Amino acid sequence: MGYKLKEGIFYAKSDEWVSLDGDIATVGISDYAQDKLGDIVYIEEVAKGKKVKQGEVFTTIESVKAASDLNAPVSGEIIEINGDAASTPSIINQDPYGKGWIVKIKVKDPSEVNNLMSAEGYSEYRKE
Amino acid sequence: MKLIYEKSVEGRKGYFLREDPYKEISLKDCIPGYALSRTKKELPEVSEVDVVRHFTALSKLNYGLDDGFYPLGSCTMKYNPKLNEHLALLDNFIYAHPCVDEDFVQGSLQVMYELNQYLSEITGMDQFTLSPAAGAHGELTGVLIMHKYFSDKGEFRHKILIPDSAHGTNPASAAMAGFNVVEVKSNERGGIDLAELHKLMDEDTVGLMLTNPNTVGLFDENIEEIAKVVHSKGGLLYYDGANLNALLGIARPGDAGFDIAHLNLHKTFSTPHGGGGPGAGPVGVKGHLIQYLPTPIVSYNGEKYFFEDVGEKSIGRLRAFWGNFSVLLKAYVWVLSIGDEGLKETAETSIINANYVMSKLKKFYKPVYDRFCMHECVLTGREYKEYGVKTLDIAKRLMDYGFHPPTIYFPHFEPYAEETIMIEPTESESKENIDLFIDTMIKIAKEIKTHAEIVKQAPHTTPVSRPDEVRAARNPILILKEINEDR
Amino acid sequence: MKYIPNTDNEKKGMLKEIGVSSFNELIKDIPENIRLKKALSIPGPFDEEEIKEQVHSIAEKNVNFFSFKPLIGAGAYRHYIPEVVKAIVSREEFYTSYTPYQPEISQGNLQSMFELQTHLARLTGMDVVVPSLYDGASAAAEAVLMAVRITHKNRIIVSSLVHPHYREVITTYTKPHDIEIIELPFDKGCTDFSNLKNLLNANTAAVVVQSPNFFGGIENIAVIASEIHDTGALLIHSITESISLGLLTAPADMGVDIVAGESQSFGMDLNFGGPYNGYLATKTRFLRQLPGRIAGETADKNGKRAFVMTMRAREQDIRREKATSNICSNHALNIVAADVYLSLLGKNGLCQVALLNTKAAHYLKRKLAETNNFEVFEYPFFNEFVVKSKIDICEVKNRLSRKSFVPPLRVDKFYKKCEKYLLFTVTEIFKREELDEIAEILGVSR
Repeated sequence: MGYKLKEGIFYAKSDEWVSLDGDIATVGISDYAQDKLGDIVYIEEVAKGKKVKQGEVFTTIESVKAASDLNAPVSGEIIEINGDAASTPSIINQDPYGKGWIVKIKVKDPSEVNNLMSAEGYSEYRKE
Repeated sequence: MKLIYEKSVEGRKGYFLREDPYKEISLKDCIPGYALSRTKKELPEVSEVDVVRHFTALSKLNYGLDDGFYPLGSCTMKYNPKLNEHLALLDNFIYAHPCVDEDFVQGSLQVMYELNQYLSEITGMDQFTLSPAAGAHGELTGVLIMHKYFSDKGEFRHKILIPDSAHGTNPASAAMAGFNVVEVKSNERGGIDLAELHKLMDEDTVGLMLTNPNTVGLFDENIEEIAKVVHSKGGLLYYDGANLNALLGIARPGDAGFDIAHLNLHKTFSTPHGGGGPGAGPVGVKGHLIQYLPTPIVSYNGEKYFFEDVGEKSIGRLRAFWGNFSVLLKAYVWVLSIGDEGLKETAETSIINANYVMSKLKKFYKPVYDRFCMHECVLTGREYKEYGVKTLDIAKRLMDYGFHPPTIYFPHFEPYAEETIMIEPTESESKENIDLFIDTMIKIAKEIKTHAEIVKQAPHTTPVSRPDEVRAARNPILILKEINEDR
Repeated sequence: MKYIPNTDNEKKGMLKEIGVSSFNELIKDIPENIRLKKALSIPGPFDEEEIKEQVHSIAEKNVNFFSFKPLIGAGAYRHYIPEVVKAIVSREEFYTSYTPYQPEISQGNLQSMFELQTHLARLTGMDVVVPSLYDGASAAAEAVLMAVRITHKNRIIVSSLVHPHYREVITTYTKPHDIEIIELPFDKGCTDFSNLKNLLNANTAAVVVQSPNFFGGIENIAVIASEIHDTGALLIHSITESISLGLLTAPADMGVDIVAGESQSFGMDLNFGGPYNGYLATKTRFLRQLPGRIAGETADKNGKRAFVMTMRAREQDIRREKATSNICSNHALNIVAADVYLSLLGKNGLCQVALLNTKAAHYLKRKLAETNNFEVFEYPFFNEFVVKSKIDICEVKNRLSRKSFVPPLRVDKFYKKCEKYLLFTVTEIFKREELDEIAEILGVSR
């Protein structure tokens, strides 16, 4: 796969990633996902404090020619939204695993990441 | 080019209106102060000549059907006869008010009544509504009829089946009727996967919306079986008439088991697209569904044409008035101009033209399905990816050679249809124009291998090239805010 | 057939190159069972002159509408249309082109969309505009669905003086969904808002008011805006007669959230009801809930100003069942018509047309009031007004028809209780002398 991966984080089949720091999860989309979408132009507003369940849609992300729902990779409460990504969505294309993170979730059950894939597993899953 | 606002000069005037002949009446006595705008609205001030020049210049930035080949797949960009346009502008038609008594508009009603008859005969349906303003409006009509049909029977079905190859309007229309969309996969021959259809069609499903020929330009050979499966579970079969051009005089949706059908008069029946509309999307139904049609329909009692209320089971009204009358009239004139033989010849020629294009181009652009097609063929630009050239680039390069590009990236469904180039020559194109297009496509295929950059940077000859759509979406400028004197 | 260039010989040659010996080999996928085995029973083909004769003679079955000036409006208005409008929309580059998906060869359409968006934004005071939906009725229905999406609420309060057909369309569009529609009564020529406070609840998505309303009445929209907004609902302003915007306060200045309009009066023929052109105008914050196509300004790869269709991820071809609407084809050619019309009339002309309409209508009303045959009502109106006839309605019709006027609308067609009420519409096409004549014809006692 010709896409960048980040080790030590977890990947969902719907192409979101999550990295855990205690019970705080940072969520974004994979390099593969940003490439497939193309130039991202908009992220639908997310309400702070919104409760989400693993696998449930929490927002939508748009490029010029596509729109994609983002699913919460873990359950919990959205505690922070990346204002930079919302105002300058291009940073998601440029740095999907870094500055282009999308939300932070206060996680209810950290063991949920066991339902997700490792970098290696995701790489295998997205092998074309 | 400058906007009309950027040509405005204070005091210029482009209209002829009489002076106020009612000086004794004060405006303040007519309209209360709270409702009167305190300032004049800031529209431009330009002369008639300014306006004519401006819009003539704007028109020249457009590419119309009379400028050349327009092989947009799925859009049926056939020639729009001048006769139709002329007759649609007769004073007695264009000045007819929609709410006058029927005895004032017997002519207009006759056109609607007879067109309804012709469309019924051509499609094998029993009765049409001429109300829908466009294909998608027709789809909405159709799915609302499905909704009403089931709720009338006391059944509350939630799902609707739509193939992965369908136009986006199908699922969007179905959602407007409150249905959950279930996608049906296409099989390796380009039709509906029958096994999957058997599995998915159940008693919680209202039916199937099917475009046939479908969006890969193939007639679904299993149509009889499909109809059987849908009907066996009490469902309704919906015909999306986007591609009816291929069937005119050859086969009729009504004979193939379809219960509801919408047509696109702006595709099949030669009425112009107008830069995106207006068209018309009449919907025909079988007898058992007539009672649900939108209200009203035009009837005739042997002496007089009149509007008839459909009754309490009607889905209701779809729009303010009766239909896009001038569009209906153009379609009516087209049918009369060509008659039965002409309809059949239309379908045959469109099919021959499409197969001719496919047979000549398939070595260069791999077809999605390598079989004889109907009125359009779907090729792909996949193999040019290795040269860094996208299907989009091929489309843009065609403009440099004076063609409107075909439809691209539609249909899109994995694994069969990706990087698609959908070509519909229609019956209107002569062999030498088609040959020129074919030669150009082959030339571009060669250019890609030798001069990829030229293709990737195309178009080079158009008024603008590759407008930045990302910028437009990230920083939307949707109206003129300030006039920039430097333009 | 004359619209097919290729000769039989050419077609034969093409079949050969395809590699088949007959056309039938190409359509093997169509089962024999469903093939059409008879000739279609439709008339034709006729030659050009024959068709002209036929269609002309059908047209003759209508009354001679050009000289039959309508005193009827009710959502469709006969106005002065400068010939320039027709000349421009008859250019093949406009009427035969496709939707501007390829901006390089569609700048004409795209710029015209952008210009009309600007005109309508300036007329309504709003930030963003969808320049074309099918008509004002479907625009009103789309506005209602939009309000439901924005507020996540499902009660809609509609004035009973919203055009009856528009209300029916709103019902058709909302019926499959869980949406409750409540009507506000009217009093004389305007909506009775006295009970609005009680009807507005936490579940109200929108209040729909038409102004000028179906009776021509000008609603005092500004006074209800704050109580609507206090409950979190939106105020939708439906407009059937957009000429009124030439004189009346911009909807945005009255607290309106969504304008759902009909722009037929901006250069479109009556055409027995269509095609007309609907539009929506709203605030930036609701942009992403709008249905339909929008043009935006950008620059091309050389930095040159260019226009494209934008905010496309709302639309059906991208978002399929999650799109804001199913609309695809709209009434694009009428965008050009309205753009040309508003450019010609401009700042002073639109104001002048609106003024002439207002005064002509008020003049006729005064003249009718002077006869003993009509009861008139006091309410602020634009170019339509309701009177109660003391003479037989058929008699009114006959007297006017005999003098080549299309009679006014019978209100009881829509409001059963309003027997003998007539809705007169007077636009700038009437000369003062004609209005005098009408008053005279109708003033004669039996």
